[in-house]
Amino acid sequence: MSLAQAGGPPGWSRRIVVLLAWLLVVGLGAVVIARTQIGADLSAFLPKSPDLRQRVLIEQLQSGVASRTLMLGFEGGSVEQRAEVSRAVGKAMRESKLFDLVQNGDVSDWSEAGTWVFEHRYQLSSGVMPGQFTVAGLRDAIIDTLSMLGTPAGNAIKPLLDRDPTGETQRVAMELVPASAPRSEGGVWMSRDAPRALMIATTRAAGGDLDAQAVAIARVQAAYEAAARGMGEASPKLLLSGAPVFSVMSREKIKTEAMHLAVVGGIVMSVLLLLAFASPRALVIAFLPVATGVVVGTASVSLVFGSVHGLTLGFGSTLIGETVDYAIYYLIQARGAAVAGTGWQRWREVHWPTVRLGLLTSVCGFAALVFSGFPGLAQLGVFSIAGLVSAALATRYVLPVLAPDGATGMGMRRHMARLAGLLVRGLPRLRWPLAALGVAALALVLWQGGHLWRADLSAMSPVPRSAQLLDEMLRKDIGASDGGVLVVAFGDDEQAALRHTEAAAARLDALVDKGELSGYETVTRVLPSVAAQTARLASLPDADTLRANLVEATKGLPLPASRLGAFVTDVEAARKQAPVQRADLMGGPLGSVVNTLMYERPGGGWSTLVVLHPGPGFDQGRLEAALAGLPEVQVVDVGRELGGLYQRYLHEAFVQVLLGALAVVVLLGVYLRSWRRLLAVCQPLLFAVVLTLGGMALAQAALGILHLVGLLLIVAVGSNYALFFDQLRTTGRADEDTLASLMLANLTTVVSFGLIAISDIPALSSIGRVVAPGALLALLLSAAFARNVAPGKGPSPQRPR
Amino acid sequence: MISGSKMRLDRLCKVLVLAVAFCAAPAWAAFDLPELMGLLSKQKSGEARFTEQRFVHGLEGPLDASGTLSFEAPDKLVRRTLSPRIETMAVDGNTLTLSRGNRNRTLALDSMPELLGLVEAMRGTLTGDGTTLQRYFKSTVSGAANQWTLDLTPNDSRLAAQVRSMRITGRGGEVLGLEMEFVGGDRSVMNISPKAAPSAVPASAPGRATP
Repeated sequence: MSLAQAGGPPGWSRRIVVLLAWLLVVGLGAVVIARTQIGADLSAFLPKSPDLRQRVLIEQLQSGVASRTLMLGFEGGSVEQRAEVSRAVGKAMRESKLFDLVQNGDVSDWSEAGTWVFEHRYQLSSGVMPGQFTVAGLRDAIIDTLSMLGTPAGNAIKPLLDRDPTGETQRVAMELVPASAPRSEGGVWMSRDAPRALMIATTRAAGGDLDAQAVAIARVQAAYEAAARGMGEASPKLLLSGAPVFSVMSREKIKTEAMHLAVVGGIVMSVLLLLAFASPRALVIAFLPVATGVVVGTASVSLVFGSVHGLTLGFGSTLIGETVDYAIYYLIQARGAAVAGTGWQRWREVHWPTVRLGLLTSVCGFAALVFSGFPGLAQLGVFSIAGLVSAALATRYVLPVLAPDGATGMGMRRHMARLAGLLVRGLPRLRWPLAALGVAALALVLWQGGHLWRADLSAMSPVPRSAQLLDEMLRKDIGASDGGVLVVAFGDDEQAALRHTEAAAARLDALVDKGELSGYETVTRVLPSVAAQTARLASLPDADTLRANLVEATKGLPLPASRLGAFVTDVEAARKQAPVQRADLMGGPLGSVVNTLMYERPGGGWSTLVVLHPGPGFDQGRLEAALAGLPEVQVVDVGRELGGLYQRYLHEAFVQVLLGALAVVVLLGVYLRSWRRLLAVCQPLLFAVVLTLGGMALAQAALGILHLVGLLLIVAVGSNYALFFDQLRTTGRADEDTLASLMLANLTTVVSFGLIAISDIPALSSIGRVVAPGALLALLLSAAFARNVAPGKGPSPQRPR
Repeated sequence: MISGSKMRLDRLCKVLVLAVAFCAAPAWAAFDLPELMGLLSKQKSGEARFTEQRFVHGLEGPLDASGTLSFEAPDKLVRRTLSPRIETMAVDGNTLTLSRGNRNRTLALDSMPELLGLVEAMRGTLTGDGTTLQRYFKSTVSGAANQWTLDLTPNDSRLAAQVRSMRITGRGGEVLGLEMEFVGGDRSVMNISPKAAPSAVPASAPGRATP
């Protein structure tokens, strides 16, 4: 500082210290980024502290079976070709060990599962209860089993007859057959209305582990290519969908789009800056704060959140627009120093306070996002704040070292300056028409009211429409529950969760019997609670009792008791069996069922998922009524909860954005210390927001949360322009070169947000479509509403503030 | 409807042409699947009693069952067993409902080819739906309109792994018997006696005369 006070360029030692410090920061940031995982799941944009049902939903979206389910179709070719490809791909997928569950209708490898069920039938079967082994119970059960003989099912039952005459294995097996399953043809699942074989699989890797998901998807594709090779032109084509595909696709898309935007944005910006400065050196210098901001912003998000969402990264390019402004202001405003090498000092004294205030207002705006309670938005907030602050600091400390007197070249700036002068002189005449337009826009916005904010969560999804349609089609084919309504049971530990699931299942059984539900799938069919298993085993009679009862029960039946010695032995052995536990199933053939329907909750405790097959008589109200009174069981209507989440999200975002805007206004008020000046600064911002909203309403755009964030950005970015006009008015210093810097800064902002506006990623384009016109309007309106700042005749006296 | 009758007419013409061309063939050989289906399709709904005997290797004596059958074109079929236990198997379109006691189970019929084949054999025959029958079975018709036999062999591998053949017998538009031969040698024989419902076609009007 002492050197700086003496005048002249910064001293060498100071230069070295500043540059080293800066390089260290950027270098450290780069190291952090290199170790960062980039996420792309939209659940990052869901709130952190929702109610129970919403938490269940978010757990499901983030790590539940929905996030791991792949749906495959093999379309075209002959029935035999489709079946062959389906079987081959299914086999390869099962062997890869990358998948928990691979179902394509092929039941050829069920024998292992069947053996396991047979061995544990007295623990698993709901038929095992005290009455079952009385004389009457045995007789009933044996007649039931015999009635299956002499039917196509008989061949499966006959070998078990002597050991399982009461048909417990068959009971468990029948319960495991889903109530609605795809059509089976040629031994595999086929669509009911198209030449398409079907398959469904869940990846073993968690839904959030995108690298592993990408590996699993690649494995499917390789298996398909191997299977279809040699089938020629008419071979069935692979259709692949599901959450993992969407996530991986989104990540790729976000990556390429972010890269694309950065490159195009960089080129356009370079051209603009070259035109303005005609100096490659100035160009490089102008980009340093931007690069610093992006690196520090990304690294900060990584440090705070552990990972960076792809959308947050996408914002790197939006930041370019604002952070490059700092450099532009500096490079232009530090020019023309009386003593060579002191331009930076004058800039620091005259302009830095304004830049700093603009920075603070922006930080206020983004701080609202940090505290919003939505991890995704909080990331955006942290990214922007860290990025802006570091870019501003880089401008403040590094640029003076590199360019003490600002940019040297003049380029096209003289023409820009003339244009700026014309605008600034001409626009105030349009003040009243613009104000009238603003009032009209306000009326339109108020008249549209809530209808304007009709975008939903899916509007943020970068998944293209065609992929969504494919997903819908396969889902319908497979008849897999579209996850519309889920029943989830909880417990503090595995056993509690299982007991609560059994309580729910008992109520669901009643609905099934009444025909109000076609069926449901539950983990307790292969893993009953220890309590249920113990009760079942306790109802098994001892060998003597059973033997005696059998003699009575089989009288007159074609199956004499003398043949059932093995049954008595098996029951006796079962009485001594230890209850089946989750760990026993894990390595076995039914482990995948457990993995799919049961999971450890992120916050501790266990949950099970009951998958419903609603059927034609389904009524959600009756389902909820049936499960009422079981607090550990929740009915989650995914559509309704997502809608509720979004509404809550929107509402909170409104509050946060208003708070952010309020913070900006308070900050401005504190700094300006004048109601009149505050009003003058806020007026153009308010009109810019209203006019932008009016424009969106006219274009009939469905607005959502990110549009809202965009509005806050208009205020945050636009306040810079308004403040400059305020500064120009108070200092009376409005030379055309300064106006040109303002215009250039605005142009870069509008261009960068304009690029985002035409992006394929809805979340980005919705912000761009709001901010690009809004930022332009903010400048024009600031000029229009500013009075007495038109460049006077000749240079105004320069007074440090 | 118009195209349907036209098609049937076309088929009849073909049959006639064939009968003339191979005049060495006995006249009753011309009684074929389309004609049988023509007879059967006149009955849009019906009810019948059935008695069933199943011969299962390893059991002492046959298993007996009896109950009622009812159908309603195009795709409803209910088999209600009254003895030895009351149980119902009801098919409506692609939905199969099994009821026993007060428990119901619903299944998608076409997800289980073994069941689908059986149901389509019954349903296709009762409603005279030859197209469906030929989709699932290779069929052979023998006899004449007043005493016919329809032999079916399954096409689908999963059904064929369980059921070797089915034989349906009848008179005019009425189905009177269903025999199934299972892989492994078990057998089931069902005798059907249609209820004398007013809608039943009288025996004196046996559809169409053989050429």
